[in-house]
Amino acid sequence: MKHLKITLQILLLVLFISCDSDDDNPAQSEMVVAFENASTSFSAEDDRKTINLVFSSPATENGSLIVDWNSTNSVYGEDFTVIPEATNNSFTLEFNAGDEGVSFDINKLQNPIEGTQKSVNFDIIEVNHRNAIVGGNTSLNVDFTGAAAASGNISPEVGGPNQPNQVYVDLSGQNSTAINRAAWDLAFYQGEEFRVKLNGSLFMATAELDETDITAITSQDVASLQGQVAVGTFNPSNMAYVDAPSGEINETAIAEIANNNEDNKVYLLNLGNSVGTETPQPGSVELSGEPRGWKKIRILKDGINYILQHADLDATEFEEISISKSGNNAFEYVNLASNSTVEVDQNIQWDIEFTTFTNEIEGAGSYGYSDFVVNNRLANVSAYAVENSEIEYADYNIEDVSDEEFSLDQRAIGSNWRVGGGPNSSPTLKQELFFVLKDSDENIYKIRFTALTDENGVRGFPKFEYEKLN
Amino acid sequence: MKRLRLILAFIGVLNISAQEKDSLDFKFGEINGLEEVVVTGQINPQSVNKSVFEVKVINRETIDRLAANNLADILNQQLNINIIPNASTGKSGVQLFGLDSQYFKILVDNIPLISDEGLGNNADLTQINLDDIERIEIVEGSMGVQYGANAVSGIINIITKKDAQSEWQITPYVQEETIGDEYNFEDEGRHIQSVKVAHNINDNWFAQISATRNDFKGRFGEKQGQNYQQNDGLRGYEWLPKLQNNYKALVRFKSKNTTAFYKLEWFDERVKRYSESVRLNENSSTGTINPTASDDIFKSGRMFHHFNLNTKLFEKTNLNISTSFQEQKRDVEEFTYRIKTGEKLNIRKNEFESRQAIFSRGNLSNLLNFEKFDLQVGYELNLIDGFASPMSNPLQSDPVDRKLNNYDVFATSKYQFSDKFSIRPGVRALFSNQFDPLMAVSLSSKYLFNDGVEARAVVGSSPRTPSYDELFTYFVDVNHDVRGNENLKPEQGFSTFIHFKKTFWSDDYKLKIKPKLSFWYLNVSDRIELTIVNPSPLAYQFSNIDKFQSIGTSMTTSLEYKNISGNIGLSLTGVSKVLDSQDNFNDDFLYGLQANSNISYRIPKWGLTSSVFFKYNGPQYQFVQQQNEADETVLTRGKQDGFGLMDASFRKRLIKNKLDLTFGIRNVLDVDRVNTTAVEGGAHDAAPSSLLLAYGRSYFIKLLYQFKF
Repeated sequence: MKHLKITLQILLLVLFISCDSDDDNPAQSEMVVAFENASTSFSAEDDRKTINLVFSSPATENGSLIVDWNSTNSVYGEDFTVIPEATNNSFTLEFNAGDEGVSFDINKLQNPIEGTQKSVNFDIIEVNHRNAIVGGNTSLNVDFTGAAAASGNISPEVGGPNQPNQVYVDLSGQNSTAINRAAWDLAFYQGEEFRVKLNGSLFMATAELDETDITAITSQDVASLQGQVAVGTFNPSNMAYVDAPSGEINETAIAEIANNNEDNKVYLLNLGNSVGTETPQPGSVELSGEPRGWKKIRILKDGINYILQHADLDATEFEEISISKSGNNAFEYVNLASNSTVEVDQNIQWDIEFTTFTNEIEGAGSYGYSDFVVNNRLANVSAYAVENSEIEYADYNIEDVSDEEFSLDQRAIGSNWRVGGGPNSSPTLKQELFFVLKDSDENIYKIRFTALTDENGVRGFPKFEYEKLN
Repeated sequence: MKRLRLILAFIGVLNISAQEKDSLDFKFGEINGLEEVVVTGQINPQSVNKSVFEVKVINRETIDRLAANNLADILNQQLNINIIPNASTGKSGVQLFGLDSQYFKILVDNIPLISDEGLGNNADLTQINLDDIERIEIVEGSMGVQYGANAVSGIINIITKKDAQSEWQITPYVQEETIGDEYNFEDEGRHIQSVKVAHNINDNWFAQISATRNDFKGRFGEKQGQNYQQNDGLRGYEWLPKLQNNYKALVRFKSKNTTAFYKLEWFDERVKRYSESVRLNENSSTGTINPTASDDIFKSGRMFHHFNLNTKLFEKTNLNISTSFQEQKRDVEEFTYRIKTGEKLNIRKNEFESRQAIFSRGNLSNLLNFEKFDLQVGYELNLIDGFASPMSNPLQSDPVDRKLNNYDVFATSKYQFSDKFSIRPGVRALFSNQFDPLMAVSLSSKYLFNDGVEARAVVGSSPRTPSYDELFTYFVDVNHDVRGNENLKPEQGFSTFIHFKKTFWSDDYKLKIKPKLSFWYLNVSDRIELTIVNPSPLAYQFSNIDKFQSIGTSMTTSLEYKNISGNIGLSLTGVSKVLDSQDNFNDDFLYGLQANSNISYRIPKWGLTSSVFFKYNGPQYQFVQQQNEADETVLTRGKQDGFGLMDASFRKRLIKNKLDLTFGIRNVLDVDRVNTTAVEGGAHDAAPSSLLLAYGRSYFIKLLYQFKF
């Protein structure tokens, strides 16, 4: 009997201790509704813009919200209209369960007369949805006079962990343009100097040979060089084979094209690596796919134009393309495979570019970087970093801007916005700093990066916000 | 005489020394019949002092006194052995003579136990439950002839219990532990429940089943757990939560000339790893955050079957065959955790790594009918099927599936020249489908001097087979070139040990002192290391390039006086590494000191035993490459600080010895982190300045009841 009692007691104790509560889940939070941006601006060419409103979490039921406005020198039906149509100074936007936002369109009906202020201020006045509130950007200022955007949120389409795109971002225009980074091989400078740039985003490298006849070079001649003419060989002297990472146009790997064509040597060209195609573990990138092989090239001057000769290493014939120097843009771009010029950023005004990048590690030579941000040095865009410990992003204003700190080096933002990872850790967003940037029109912005990855930790989904200081 | 026997019986049964329990001296052993028998490395089960090998024994009493639930709980009090816990994986490895767990083999009932990454080696000590263990035998030194590859620094042989005194024996117990200063019933502390049922069916048959649940809730320390929303490195746990279940069953048959058993074990484990890095996922528009983190749940399962037959042929010859099938598999569930809502997104379930093995060993002993000569011949077969996903190695790009088949034959003999002198030569040939044939040899001898000094000299060798990382790493991109090498050959380990010991008794036989002095030399040649195979472009590959040597000496003394028994040990180990894999290295011997002691006092009248265990691990040194002020790479002597581990316990038997109550303190000195400059930083990571070795002072209480009828 005594046995039994003790047994029961012990079993009860065991049972009691075994009861394992599962991890308790925190409560669902409220849904916040806001304009995607707090301001936007119509340039003289724009006549229609789509305005997005976003939710902090997907709607859990069907609902609606009501937007109204008050305007400065702008009359509904004369200066602008909205779709869906408004009645009595307001309109309703409906959404369904699962939606992460809604949008409406603004049509600009006429350009303002220069010197007059025309704008409309939209407000979210009501949300009909369980647990919803208006927060963040509760109002949107729309300017019709083409002023630089006062703020913005941009998610450049870098394209995921292979980072296939170079994304050109214009802060004042609040827009970004993505271009596949394998679209071009060589960039021909359109400014005063005759300079040719490699596509460093593919980790290309090049070495001058002692020969002026492109047909005379064979793969045997360059075999000993090939191991060295590459990015990431951990030989400090390999910096000679890549363009100066600072973006200084006079320090390209290919020497300035000489007036006397007899001085223009053949170059061995390592085409780098194609854009990776495999999907790596979340947190990692797979930038480089197969090696793209080797070419021999020679660049000549023909008056004010360039002539590019290129061929496979052992070819006895070569292809030729003439690149004219119009001077309208910074560069003309050539794709070797199609032997043609291609459109990249020629008609885009941009301040910063998201790209993979050939940088230098001091003492170790060239090294391929992901998630790199380049400021447009050739358009005089400069930037610098500010530590949060000195002053918080929110408190930073025009009085705090220090003109001497602006750096033209195109790596002023570079990879400084993230923490580098290692074999056992993934890079992360560096939250302790933000950046100040001055564009070619002397607009000064503060920029804060808010994401390096998507919410699953997959690389190549950056986000940032910015605000105009002047 | 009767009184003497009684005292000796007590000493024999309740020998306290954790370090090493030697049986009574030869002639008294005869008297009371309580000699401790060991099996490790023996042709036939032998008493410890007849063994030509120097076998250290941890007995059940010591295990109980430390309330040790798994192997990691007990080995950290052993001289020369260091337990290396890894807080970020939850695993604990073993280090012996400066060599890690790849060189150390763990056996259960004489056969190697499977782990995630090997058969016998690379074991996670926390996964080896001790509930049905009778004793643990430890042999230091290379044991390739007896146990094949990967027994370089030594072996542990866990001997399970295969009998019970009464017809029915039901043993439930509960054990509650704090983890450092953290404890509650919900999400802190360590909670163990177990029940074992043993039954003697008749004179021939015995059966036993047991189940144990070990719920280690992890340690928060400074960390803030799973639902912490800030990205300041404080999310998650300092020690990962881990839940283990262990089920075992045994059927044993015993007759005059034959014993046979079948043992089945099922083990499963769930380890949760919470990322400390939090992605805030700021929404600048709404001014909200939606923090997420990438978490993992690891699920391991181990299945273990072992059939053993031990029978006499032709009256004298002994046949012993063990056949085993074992499998261990580790699966990972990776997911994104939305901290605010507790949702799991993007769930990916994959096999992380696994090993599957068919093992068989058989031997015939006492083959030749001579009194002074024993011969044992045998075979060992192991077919290991391994899988490693790229997740298991950040520098591996493709999954690896590989079969390693070993077919070994061995012979050992023992020649007894006289009562005083015996030798034991042995040889094993190792054939495999992956490597060229290898040879392991051993030669042991024992000499008993006239003054009672026992001298043993043991020479042995054992190869270590290359790991999957060494074979299959492949990390080549625009910036890197790091490769494994499928043409690696096994490393070669070789060791020599010399031991002297003698037992002293006081005139009234109340005091017994048994000092032992040991010297050893161990070397590993063809050591595999990552090395630069091309400086420009920089390329690394694993190669058989380095050399490792360890020398050492130890002095241990056990002491017994009335109800007090104790043990004190001191050892000095020097390690030298010839690193041809690096540009510059220093192969000076670097010495480390270890000391351990334990003392226990029994009050038989009260059924009370109190014990204190202490081990001091002296500073450890290692040459590390560092950048000096002029930015040059220089070799400096890094140091890991010394630390002491102390455990204390009280054990009391109540209700006619049926209720067993143990209360104790682990890590009395409250050690957790130890400062170090002995770890090198990598290209992307700075060197850590401290190592997490323990989780601070903890308290435990264990309540065990035995029903016998």
